[in-house]
Amino acid sequence: MTDARSILLVEDNPDDVELTLLAFEMNNIPNPLVVVEDGAEAVQYLFADGPYADRDLDDRPVLILLDLKLPRMGGLEVLRRLRHDQRSQGIPIVVLTSSLEAEDVVRSYELCANSYIRKPVDFDQFVETVRQLGSYWLVLNEGVEN
Amino acid sequence: MTQIDLDSGLETAYSSEAEEYARAMLNILEDFASEKERLEESQRAVLNILEDFGAEKERLEEVQRAMLNLLEDFDVERSKAEASNLELREAFESLRRAKEAADAANRELQAFSYSVSHDLRAPLRAIDGFSLALVKGYEGDLDAKGKDYLHRVRAATQRMAQLIDDLLKLSRLTRGELNLTWVDLSALARLVTEELQHSQPGRRGVTFCIAEGLVARGDPRLLKVVLDNLLGNAWKFTSKKVEAKIEFGATRMGSRLAYFVRDDGAGFEMTYTQKLFETFHRLHSERDFPGTGVGLSLVLRIVRRHGGEIWAEGEVGRGATFYFTLDTLRPETET
Repeated sequence: MTDARSILLVEDNPDDVELTLLAFEMNNIPNPLVVVEDGAEAVQYLFADGPYADRDLDDRPVLILLDLKLPRMGGLEVLRRLRHDQRSQGIPIVVLTSSLEAEDVVRSYELCANSYIRKPVDFDQFVETVRQLGSYWLVLNEGVEN
Repeated sequence: MTQIDLDSGLETAYSSEAEEYARAMLNILEDFASEKERLEESQRAVLNILEDFGAEKERLEEVQRAMLNLLEDFDVERSKAEASNLELREAFESLRRAKEAADAANRELQAFSYSVSHDLRAPLRAIDGFSLALVKGYEGDLDAKGKDYLHRVRAATQRMAQLIDDLLKLSRLTRGELNLTWVDLSALARLVTEELQHSQPGRRGVTFCIAEGLVARGDPRLLKVVLDNLLGNAWKFTSKKVEAKIEFGATRMGSRLAYFVRDDGAGFEMTYTQKLFETFHRLHSERDFPGTGVGLSLVLRIVRRHGGEIWAEGEVGRGATFYFTLDTLRPETET
């Protein structure tokens, strides 16, 4: 990874945002983390709409980290929209959430999430989770070329 | 002579005519008599017929009365049937309402556990994460005591997370349908003991005795949780012994078959046997034997959902035996 494309983090909890940034930093992941706070904003960002109208549509994130419980538009709805639009179909989406309710897991995979990870309470474990996420999705995995 | 002869001739002529008349009259009278007899016979026949008609009419009237009675009975019967139909409909209706209420309560519980699972964990993550960030990023600014406090904060946080997870498990396992099938408990017990040995490969000196051929009807996923907890407890409470024996078997108790898990570990005081199954209640200190106090209340709920009972015998320092029965033919009993 030399061009260090961005990673989109869809997360409304500022503590979780800060901790995710910290975990990225502790793992020396060079990709910049773009944070949007709810589902509607995530969709606007990806489709260069609304406040993001000036954004280059071809500058797609290399990975989306998606929380499920979000204000306004929930994570599952974001998944549905992104998977139904050709412009965002190729972007890997990792659901990164608190819930381990079977229904959330099943629905996420039905809507073609690439992975489902429950955020552990133990921060050491979370740092390790982020390390593995980075090495798999940013290094090992071959995505669709921009 | 001639006169006489004439006279006698006339006389003769007259008398023969009269005789003829008389005969005719007699004939007519005879005819009348036989006619009368015939008429009388007919009259008798008609009377007979009329009499028969009378009897027939009476019979008919009787039949009619009987039919009216029957109709009346039918009417009574019908209104009875209608009444019991109404009762049945009302019973169905109240059953439907009860089911609706139960479904609503279940949905609410589901929403509640969802919220617990999601919302209660988020602040815990922040507490743990920022404590660690302090320990790692500000090491030089903290003395040993400061670091120890932060460690305690993190330990408490993780314990809280464990409690939340166990509670969620409790609510998840006690809702939803029972999936009944024949379960090989002996095989299940062997699987659980293998998992236990795998979890602590360094631990030696534990002998497992698992009875063969124990098969019961139940939900395999839930019965696995029962054996996970009972055998797991036996494993945990024998951990301070060099040599330990853990048994799984069955024994006849009256008309019932009671399955048991027996160990020769720490045991417990019989006075507290009821407390064993209360959620979050523990008989041993966290320092000696860690746990959240949810396991046995989980087992109790599952056994009850299988129509069974659970009880325990123990002695401090001598071990414990947990018995449970399964009776899936009986409907679910509520606590």
